[in-house]
Amino acid sequence: MKETNIYKPLRAELIEVIEESPTIKSFVLVPEQEFSFATGQFIELTLNGTGEAPFTPSSSPLVKDRIEITIMKAGYVTEKIHNLKPGEIMGIRGPYGRGYPLDRLYGKEILIVGGGCGFAPLRSLLYNLEAEKDKVRKVTFCYGSKNPAECIYKPYIENLKTIDKFEVHRTVDVADETWAGEVGVATVLLDKVEVNIDDSVAVVCGPPIMMKFGVMKLLEMGYKDRQIYLSMEKNMSCGLGKCGHCMMGEYFVCKDGPVFSYDEIKDQPDIWK
Amino acid sequence: MDKMFVISMTDWQAVLGQFSASYSLFAPVEFNGSQDYELVDKENTGNIIYNHPKPATPVKTFFLPVKENVTVESGIEKPAIIMGVPSCDLAALDILDEMYLQRDYTDIYYKNRRENFILIGYDCRSIVENCHCTSYGLKPYPEKNCDLMLARDRHLVFLQSLSARGAELLKEMGKYADIIKASKDEASEINEKRSEITRLLKDKNKNLPGYELSGKLIKDSPDKIWKSYASTCVSCGACAAICPTCTCFLLIDRPDFEKIRQLDTCQYPGFEKVAAGEDPLGELFVRFRNRYQCKYVWKPLKFKSIACTGCGRCIDTCIGKISKNELLEELASEKNS
Repeated sequence: MKETNIYKPLRAELIEVIEESPTIKSFVLVPEQEFSFATGQFIELTLNGTGEAPFTPSSSPLVKDRIEITIMKAGYVTEKIHNLKPGEIMGIRGPYGRGYPLDRLYGKEILIVGGGCGFAPLRSLLYNLEAEKDKVRKVTFCYGSKNPAECIYKPYIENLKTIDKFEVHRTVDVADETWAGEVGVATVLLDKVEVNIDDSVAVVCGPPIMMKFGVMKLLEMGYKDRQIYLSMEKNMSCGLGKCGHCMMGEYFVCKDGPVFSYDEIKDQPDIWK
Repeated sequence: MDKMFVISMTDWQAVLGQFSASYSLFAPVEFNGSQDYELVDKENTGNIIYNHPKPATPVKTFFLPVKENVTVESGIEKPAIIMGVPSCDLAALDILDEMYLQRDYTDIYYKNRRENFILIGYDCRSIVENCHCTSYGLKPYPEKNCDLMLARDRHLVFLQSLSARGAELLKEMGKYADIIKASKDEASEINEKRSEITRLLKDKNKNLPGYELSGKLIKDSPDKIWKSYASTCVSCGACAAICPTCTCFLLIDRPDFEKIRQLDTCQYPGFEKVAAGEDPLGELFVRFRNRYQCKYVWKPLKFKSIACTGCGRCIDTCIGKISKNELLEELASEKNS
C-alpha cells in the first residue's frame, strides 16, 4: 500500500471570493475530493509557490463538497491571497487538530464571544449548533468589530437573530453615523447577557488581547477555568505536531489544540502573545 | 548479550573495500583536527577514525537532511551503511522516531531511510570535553537503535550484532573475511574498557544534575540566570542544528505545490511569530531558555524518549561560549546553597 505523504496538499478550486469587510474576504473552495472537518479544526491553505498558512474554515462542517475560508489581510501570504480571482487552484492540507468540544456544549447555555476575524471559526460552530438545535439549550453570541464596516457576515447575523434559541449582541470599538448600538470592546456586551453561569460554557475567539480580557471578564462573572474554551492562534506551520513553530509550553497547538479549555493552558508561557 | 565476533584488521579492510562498492559507506574521517562522516571508498578506508567520540554532525542529518523536497517521489537510494555512530546519537533516534514515525503522522522520507540505512555503532574508547551521556542514563557504547556494535583493539575488530539485519551483515562479511567468535578474555576486556569509560564520564560530570532534576531546576529558575547566559548568544542556531534531538523545521513553498522541509530552530528570531505580529519568543533570552525548556521540561510531558542525550555538541559549537552544563550545574548549586 502506498503511504500517504503528509506534506502534499490536496488541490482545491477557488470558485467565489466574498468581500466581508475592507480587510476581510471569504474564499469558497471546491476540493478535488470530498473533504470533511469537525468544527474548530483547521486546515493549511497553500498559495501555490508562495506560502502556506493555517485557517479554521468558517463554513458548516456538515457541507462536504465545498469549504469556506475567511481571511484577514495580515501578512505576506494573506495579502497575496486577497488578490486571487475565482478559477485559481489552491492547496489544502488537513483537517488538523482538536476542534470545539460539541459534546460539552450540548445541553448547556452556550455563551460565544467573538472579535473581528475571530468570527470565522465561530460561524462554523454556529452553523453546527444551528443544525443540531435540538441538543442546544440557548446560544448567546456577543460580537465586537473595530467599526461598523469591519463587521463581517452581516446577512448571516441577521438570519441568526431570527432563529429560536439564538441571541445576538453586537458592539463596535469605534462608532460612526450608521451605528446606534453598543460601543466598546466585545467584553462590554457580557454585562448585558443573561446566562445561568453554573450551567453554561463559554467559547472565545478573537485577537489575543481580546481573548485575554474576555477570559478575565468571564472569570470575574463566575465562570470556572474549565468552562471557558479558546481557539489559540499560533504559528501552526506543518499542522502535524512536528515542526515546532506553534509550541506553547508543553502543547503543540496544531495537534493538542487549537481549541483548549482555559484550565488546560493557563499555566503555559505567553499564551496571549 | 549476543555473541561477540572478532576479525583481523587486514580482513576488515577487505570487508570495507567490498562494502564501499556495494553500499554507500559512511564513516568518521578526520578533517582539520575534527572528525565527521564522509563517504568512504576502498582508497581511503585507512582514514577512518575508530571509537573516538564524535563526528561533528549528529547521525540525525542522514535521516533529516538540512533541506529536502518532501513532495516529490523519494527515489530508491543505494543501500547505505553508516559506521561509527556513538551511543548518544543512537539514543537520540528514539525521539526522532517518536516524532517522525508516530504521533499519528508518519514522515515517509524519514521512514524510508530508517528502514534502509544500516547503522554500525561504536564503543566510545575515550571521552572528549563535553561528553555527558551517562548523566542521562545512557552508556558510552551502543545498546539500541543500531545493527552492529564495533570496537577496535589494535589489529583486531570486534563486532556484535544488535539486530537481525546486523546478523545478516555479519554473515555477508563472512564471505570476505575470517570471522571467529571472540574469546571470553577478549569479551571481558571489552567490558572492562566500557566500565572504565563509564567511570570517567560519571566522574567528570559528578556535579551535573540528571535529566529529570534538570527539568525541575529549569522549571523553577528565575529569568536572571537565563539573561546572564544569553548575554553572549547571537541566535545563530548552531546549538540546534548540531543537536541530535532537535527536529524543528520550516516548510517552504515552491511552484507546482512542492514543499521543502528545511531544518529550523526556535533560536532564530521570528520562529513563533504570527502574521498579526505577536511573537512569544521575541526576546533573545526567552528564545535561549525555550530550547532548554523544550528539552527538559516540555518534551518529557509528551514523549517517552529523552530530548537530550548528553553529546555536548551544543557546548562544543557555541560561538558565544555558552555551556549548557555550566548553566545546569549553576542552577543545581543555587538550589543547594
